Amino acid sequence: MKAGGDVETDQESSRRSAAESSDPLLQMQGIVKRYGATTALNAVDFEVDAGEIHALLGENGAGKTTLMHILAGLTRPDAGVLCLRGEPAVLPSPQEARRQGIAMVHQHFMLVPAFTIAENLAMDTPRSPVMFRPGPYRPEQAAQGAFEKAASLGWNLPTNTRVSELSVGTQQRVEIVKALATEARLLIFDEPTAVLTSREIEELFVMLRRLRDGGSTIILIAHKLAEILAVADRVTVLRRGNRVASAPVAETNAPQLATWMTGTVGTPSVMGITPSHAAAPNTSSPNSLTVEELTVSGDRGEQVLRGLSLTASKGEIFGIGGVDGNGQSELAEALTGLRRIQSGRMAWKGEAFPSASGPRIGYIPQDRRRMGLAPTMTVGENLLFDAVREKPFRRGPFLKKKALRTLAESLISAFDIRTSSQDIPASALSGGNQQKIVVARVLRSAPDIIVAMNPTRGLDIGATRFVHQQLRAARDRGTAIVLISTDLDEIAALADRAAILTGGRLTEYDVQASDSAQIGLLLGGVTTGGDSPH
Amino acid sequence: MSERPEPMSETAPAPADVDSPTLPTSPKRSFAGIVRGLLVAAAYLLGFVLLLMLTFVVLRIPPLVALHSLWTGAFGDARSGHLPAFSDTLIETTPLLLTSLGVVVSWRAGLFSIGGEGQLLVGALAATALAKYGTNLPAPLLTLLMIVSAGAAGGLWGALAGWLRVRRNVQEVISTIMLNYVAKFLVSWLVLGVLQEHTYHNPQSESLPNALLFTRLLPRQWSDNSQTSLHLGVPLAFVFVPVIALLLFRTKFGFALRVMGQNPDAARTAKFPVDRMRVQAMALSGALCGLAGVIELLGSATGSLPASAFSPGWGYTAVPVALLGGLTPMGALFSALFFGALTQGCRNLSQFQDVPTVLIYLVQAMAVLAVVGARAWNARRTGKEAE
Amino acid sequence: MPAEPERKPSEKSRLMTLLGGAILGTLSLATPLVLAALGETVVQRAGVVNVGLEGMMLIGAFAAFVGTEMSASLPGHIAGNSPNPYIGLIAAALAGVCVALLFALFVVKLTANQVVVGVVVNLMALGLTGTLLRTLPRPEGGFLNTQALPQILFSLNLLTPIAFLAVPAVWWWLFRTRRGLELRACGEQPTAAEASGIPVLRRRTAAILFGGGMAGLAGAFLSVGDVPTFQEGMSAGRGFIALAIVTSGRWNPWGCLAAALVFGFMDRLQIQGQAMGLHLPHDLLLAAPYVATLLILTLGSGWSQSPASLGRPYRRV
Repeated sequence: MKAGGDVETDQESSRRSAAESSDPLLQMQGIVKRYGATTALNAVDFEVDAGEIHALLGENGAGKTTLMHILAGLTRPDAGVLCLRGEPAVLPSPQEARRQGIAMVHQHFMLVPAFTIAENLAMDTPRSPVMFRPGPYRPEQAAQGAFEKAASLGWNLPTNTRVSELSVGTQQRVEIVKALATEARLLIFDEPTAVLTSREIEELFVMLRRLRDGGSTIILIAHKLAEILAVADRVTVLRRGNRVASAPVAETNAPQLATWMTGTVGTPSVMGITPSHAAAPNTSSPNSLTVEELTVSGDRGEQVLRGLSLTASKGEIFGIGGVDGNGQSELAEALTGLRRIQSGRMAWKGEAFPSASGPRIGYIPQDRRRMGLAPTMTVGENLLFDAVREKPFRRGPFLKKKALRTLAESLISAFDIRTSSQDIPASALSGGNQQKIVVARVLRSAPDIIVAMNPTRGLDIGATRFVHQQLRAARDRGTAIVLISTDLDEIAALADRAAILTGGRLTEYDVQASDSAQIGLLLGGVTTGGDSPH
Repeated sequence: MSERPEPMSETAPAPADVDSPTLPTSPKRSFAGIVRGLLVAAAYLLGFVLLLMLTFVVLRIPPLVALHSLWTGAFGDARSGHLPAFSDTLIETTPLLLTSLGVVVSWRAGLFSIGGEGQLLVGALAATALAKYGTNLPAPLLTLLMIVSAGAAGGLWGALAGWLRVRRNVQEVISTIMLNYVAKFLVSWLVLGVLQEHTYHNPQSESLPNALLFTRLLPRQWSDNSQTSLHLGVPLAFVFVPVIALLLFRTKFGFALRVMGQNPDAARTAKFPVDRMRVQAMALSGALCGLAGVIELLGSATGSLPASAFSPGWGYTAVPVALLGGLTPMGALFSALFFGALTQGCRNLSQFQDVPTVLIYLVQAMAVLAVVGARAWNARRTGKEAE
Repeated sequence: MPAEPERKPSEKSRLMTLLGGAILGTLSLATPLVLAALGETVVQRAGVVNVGLEGMMLIGAFAAFVGTEMSASLPGHIAGNSPNPYIGLIAAALAGVCVALLFALFVVKLTANQVVVGVVVNLMALGLTGTLLRTLPRPEGGFLNTQALPQILFSLNLLTPIAFLAVPAVWWWLFRTRRGLELRACGEQPTAAEASGIPVLRRRTAAILFGGGMAGLAGAFLSVGDVPTFQEGMSAGRGFIALAIVTSGRWNPWGCLAAALVFGFMDRLQIQGQAMGLHLPHDLLLAAPYVATLLILTLGSGWSQSPASLGRPYRRV
């Protein structure tokens, strides 16, 4: 790969660091991590200088999180050297990483839901050297420092509220305070913006800059280019377990980063290139899915969807964008009948459902490992979740084994699922091929409606392209598709019409014409009407 | 992030492959697979025999003599004939087989039930009660009804734990233990009370007329004119091996059950009726254990239910038996035969050497620990995936 | 038991005797339950279900018996040249810890299924104690007995005050110390605990070992407590009652104490009733702990306070 212009490539950067005498704050060299047959990190080098915001960029599965877990002491590398301030360091545990001043703000918060904020913060403070203290241990006292830290950031955290009762944004604040309170000088943020609204993201960035100016060093795991360009000083790019490049942000630009990240020039999923739209947007027809005034509550009884309405016609992809946690999964579950709706009406071709003779709905859930697969059952069996319930594949109570095997075989070849046989466990397949199983299963049953939620999250470009093709083909065959995705580029690439979900309601926007500023505002919850979610 | 999310929730949101025992997928067909399986089994067996010999050495019993004694106890010898010993082994195998099939069903469904003991007891209890109050029915019909009622009672007992799991989110491990003891004391209360035999000599229920009991299968002349113990209940129990295998691997219900056991969230997403299936799986599992109870009762010499110690813990032993058999019906069959033979052999051993019959528990425990340890070790070594 | 008044036992003093006997009897019967349940509470708070509690108690009982017997042959300044039940107590606790170590090896280190290993521990305990029992020298008549723990408080021995003082101690430790907070975090959300620098596997192992030691002591109460003897399978389901107590006590030491006292009283009632020839449905009284636990689980929100990761193995990535 040839990097262009004044931006230094891998070789150049290593030459430079060899020439310089002053050691960087952090140096990771030749880090290797394997999981079974897959290599997550293939001899990765990574340097961070003190006092910078260093972005670690890469697609899902590039190895960013694994590399940072090694730095945070959560994972042990199979090979490689790690130096802090020029001294070789071993980080066998998170405690040791802490002692060395490294703390991580996890994407999936490392909080105990049943504990109060004080308890969560106290758990994380360094243990007092006094072995025996009279009197009870008071979490709110132990966490005093953390609460002061929070106050200095202008956050007023309720001491005795259970974490399970907090909003996602507040949970993240607790998580950040936790990391700051340990006096860590090197802070790792794992995709902190994924769950935030744009206003919250702005606040976060302000805070990151303030931390940097206060002398902290920050590593920001990210895959959104705009964010990196906005906040980071330097960026290192990983692709499939290899370091591709490292450069000051000022000397690079979005297309360059995208090229490094994906290895190809300007792919749609990164660049937001809008492909052709087969069908013209048709607003409403009798052959459509209509949802009116849908009200649904979340897991903790809070109102998540507040009078949401939408239509998706036969042969149309209706895209729903928005930041995670605005009611996406609740909407998908309501549409597929997995979650009870409180009020409102869902109808297909004018007939209300869920009902006995409702439409056939195919569901591509967002987390295939958690919701889509039975990991130790075979690839074949995983393809047949729906088929086993269909008359043609049963004789009395018994399954027609031969017919089912033939069907699985044909799905494997039709959907290009790379597997040595249909008899190996599904868990042995790569993420992309696992997702193909889910997609194949859904499309085979020729549903009237498909609800797809982040169908390409974590997939490589090839698999992404394949899934997109399949969804378009299904659309062209007349299926009504509701595509819920946090990736606006994906919506731009696929959807005929689109809307942003914020605060439990939809705001439609023109997929092809909208400028990103407007969408950004929509994402942040600045809409006409519709109250803010936070 | 919620503590216990409601509709899409699961008590075990961790991927099921992480916390469940290693579940083999559908039986492998290839020749190489079979050979490899046999080799592994042979290696386990060899290791087990060595372990056994070591135990004997520690207990200061001549190991070879003891092994021989174990063997003849289970399979007989040329002098006394093979049939009596082997039919005793089969008798010993039968309750273990049915209860472990029950474990196969519930554990395959992802429900870690250890309620076999209680379900077996209520099965035998229901049959006994029916026999007492249904005396005016013709014998074959009454026998049939007893079998059915035992299955129903066991199923109900199991379904109760399933219901608690579904409605109250109570882990079945705890609820089934509680139900085991409730069953135990229910049996002794009723047997010492309304079901007490009329002479009040023994703490047990009335003996049943011979017509109700299972007929002995082997003619006397086959074994030197002595009556062998093999009865109709044994083949009846063995029939359930293919039945459960078919159910699990060849029906929609079994398919859905296995998906649920692997990943309840995936089963729910695929619109399998998870709640209903949990209760059904527990009911089926309980019914099998209830059948074990009635077969044991009708296969005994008198058919009377003692107030206590009817079962030497079959319901508990069933868990390691089923696990040793890889949670497959065929595996459970071999594993139950193995344990049955060991029990019978140990019984023989205790007659000649100063060895207590409870040695069998120690031996079984070691066998299971060895296998569980080896499997867990293997899984640790190989079974990890990236991200 | 206080001696009967010699002359004209008035109704009142008879009642007092009966009442005193009932209280002491209840405390005594509750002792092994409290000990075992406290240990198991800590184990379950760490996220592990130990179904092998019953077996650990049995092995504790056996070890206490053997330890007491063997202590006679220890040097005189240690045990006083005669069977010393306190040596038995130490042996019981150690034996419990040893079995717990085996349990922890399989459950924590090898992440084997906790239910399976628990069931196997029970089987093993039954087989091991039964087999080793044969190797003990048998006295005339075949009835094994040994020195009982001395009664230090009315008819109660040392283990009863230990058990009841352990309740506030364990409660304080679980809910008023840093270590307790950390242990509960291991049972709620082990990944979060690990990220906070808490060594989850080590804490779980430690909890299991503590549970084993307590179960061993509970077993010792059976063999060198009121009736100094050992019989095959003498734990007789008390380990499972302890499991019921942990659940119905809602994973809280005070709850455990209350449940253990209630169940101990039921047991006492049953024994007293039998002794007095009353026609109490004694099997139903014996079933009471289990029925009560099931009712609490069925009617109340009993299970909702369970540690969120109870029964799930934890692996470091």
